[in-house]
Amino acid sequence: MSEPVVVAESLNVRFADQCVLDDVGFTVNRGEVFALLGGNGAGKSTTLKTFLGTVAPTSGSASVLGHSVTSDSDFIRSKVAYLPESVMLYGHLTGMENIEYFLSLADVKRSASDIEAALKRVALQADTWHKKLADYSKGMRQKTAIALALLRSAPVLFLDEPTSGLDPSAIDEFNQLVTALSEAGSTVFMVTHDVYGACQVAHRIGLLDQGKIVGVFERNGNELIDTEQVHTAFAKRNA
Amino acid sequence: MLFADFYREMRFLSKQRYIVLFLSAVFALSAFAVWSGLHETKLQQATIERLLEKDSVDRENVLAGQGDYGSAAYYSFHVTYSEPSSLAFAAMGQRDTFPWKHRIRMLALEGQIYETDAENPELSLFGRFDFAFIVSVLLPIFVILLLHDLRSGEKEAGRYDLLVASAKKQHKLWLSRALVITTGLALAMLVPLLVGAAITQAPLAKTVAMVLITLAHLLFWVVVTVIAGRMMLARGQNSPRIASALLGVWLLATVIVPVVSDTLINQSITGPNGGEVVLTQREAVNGAWDQPYSVTWDEFLKTHPEWADYTDMESSFDWKWYYGFQQAGDQHAAELSKAYRDTIVRKDVAAGKASLMSPAMLTQRLMSSLASTDISASLAYEQDVRDFHASLRQFYYPLLFKGGEFELEQLADMPLYQQRLSN
Repeated sequence: MSEPVVVAESLNVRFADQCVLDDVGFTVNRGEVFALLGGNGAGKSTTLKTFLGTVAPTSGSASVLGHSVTSDSDFIRSKVAYLPESVMLYGHLTGMENIEYFLSLADVKRSASDIEAALKRVALQADTWHKKLADYSKGMRQKTAIALALLRSAPVLFLDEPTSGLDPSAIDEFNQLVTALSEAGSTVFMVTHDVYGACQVAHRIGLLDQGKIVGVFERNGNELIDTEQVHTAFAKRNA
Repeated sequence: MLFADFYREMRFLSKQRYIVLFLSAVFALSAFAVWSGLHETKLQQATIERLLEKDSVDRENVLAGQGDYGSAAYYSFHVTYSEPSSLAFAAMGQRDTFPWKHRIRMLALEGQIYETDAENPELSLFGRFDFAFIVSVLLPIFVILLLHDLRSGEKEAGRYDLLVASAKKQHKLWLSRALVITTGLALAMLVPLLVGAAITQAPLAKTVAMVLITLAHLLFWVVVTVIAGRMMLARGQNSPRIASALLGVWLLATVIVPVVSDTLINQSITGPNGGEVVLTQREAVNGAWDQPYSVTWDEFLKTHPEWADYTDMESSFDWKWYYGFQQAGDQHAAELSKAYRDTIVRKDVAAGKASLMSPAMLTQRLMSSLASTDISASLAYEQDVRDFHASLRQFYYPLLFKGGEFELEQLADMPLYQQRLSN
């Protein structure tokens, strides 16, 4: 786990007079699950959007697989699968049609059986695959988006509050999925405010507060990161 | 590759019911406008045919009952007309406000030309609901409604980041989506036009030119809408604000610029009106009855010196004197009439320059020009009428001035009106 995949160096983002990211720096290596933890307004989503290329850094640099987000966004998009916090796919299309549309958008070709396998893997019930997404619950939409991310077979996954809206058993399944992907060599960068969830799945956790990384926690060997320790630091910052 | 993107977006958008309904409504509007234009041109053609059918019969009957050339000229009417071109159905232009038919006698002409009923006075204000109106006025609204939220709509729906992160080439996503909507809009508007052009057998080159004008105006608004949408979204504006700003631009370009330029043109370019021309000519003709004969002859002979030796009259009323003062009446109003026409031309030239600031005006003018329904076509028809009237005078003057017995056969060579304007 020494090949840097997602790298932020002295990253600064300002909106008008507001400093949203202040000298943020971290490195996520190949096969690693890195969680950026923080409260509301800490700058988690801005960090993610900077890597997605929808927010431009004011200064500093952000890169994925050695390619800068400012000059090589097309390359980065081809290597990254993104799972948004609030999955809003197209309500007038079915789950299958949504997946087909977004795969086609990414120029990724998958057979119907591949798509079905991915939907089974995320435990989305088969009788809902051909229903309009407008009829899906939040959890079902989230599962559809996770299946889409899996089908992209991208080496890097960006996850924004990935377990938000999922029931406890689905969260467990999701965590297992992320672990499996990581073991298979995928690099996962997730932003979350779920301390427990982050500790269950992440190899390292960066604590973000008011645009700054104020602490980094990592696993000790095979032991999970200590939830209490992280929670204490998190609660102190958000008190 | 772009074709694959286009095909993907076409499949995607064809499943969005409101877009399909919207484009169907545009198609219905365009089809109605074309049908309405075809119906109107058919009515005008039928009117011309009916008038022509009765014209020769009526004249033959009238002439058969006359005993001298003066009465023959006085009682016989001649139908003049400007037939609608094969593309007039698409842009009726000035045919709603300028006359396209007259019944002319050999009396003073100015009064006969300008004393006409305004058949559709309300249309000069609002414009006819024809294809040109849809393209120049409504098309920008269609584009704004369909494309103002191309990006902002996705942002507000929470899909923007996922779309951008998923798209292999981000610009291709928006480009192909805008292209599909633009193509749908173009087809919805142009298919009825092409059917109309096929029915009227319009020349291919002019039909193609009409299509290109439509596409140029469509592309202009697509580019404006997409660029404005992108720039305003980057500044944090939402879809309603983007739509409001674009509708403001539409209002400025389509309503305010034309109205203000029309007001300014009418204030800065002034001249006589048609009523003044009619009044001047009529006063001159009516006054001739009370003036010495020499006043009429002096005026008449200024333009027709070849008849100087034929002005003697055998009685107090002679048809040659009567037509002499009709001619003199026209000459009296000639300068005013020319000034009136010059004013129309100058206003038209100024409107042409002003149209460079309003794509809607420019589109409408170009379409009217192609359909031969513009000011130039109206003035060309008016000139046709003047030329025909001059040929009538040229035909009758020798018969009136040289005297001689009335012979019906002499009238066989009487000139007949023929429209010179080509379709």
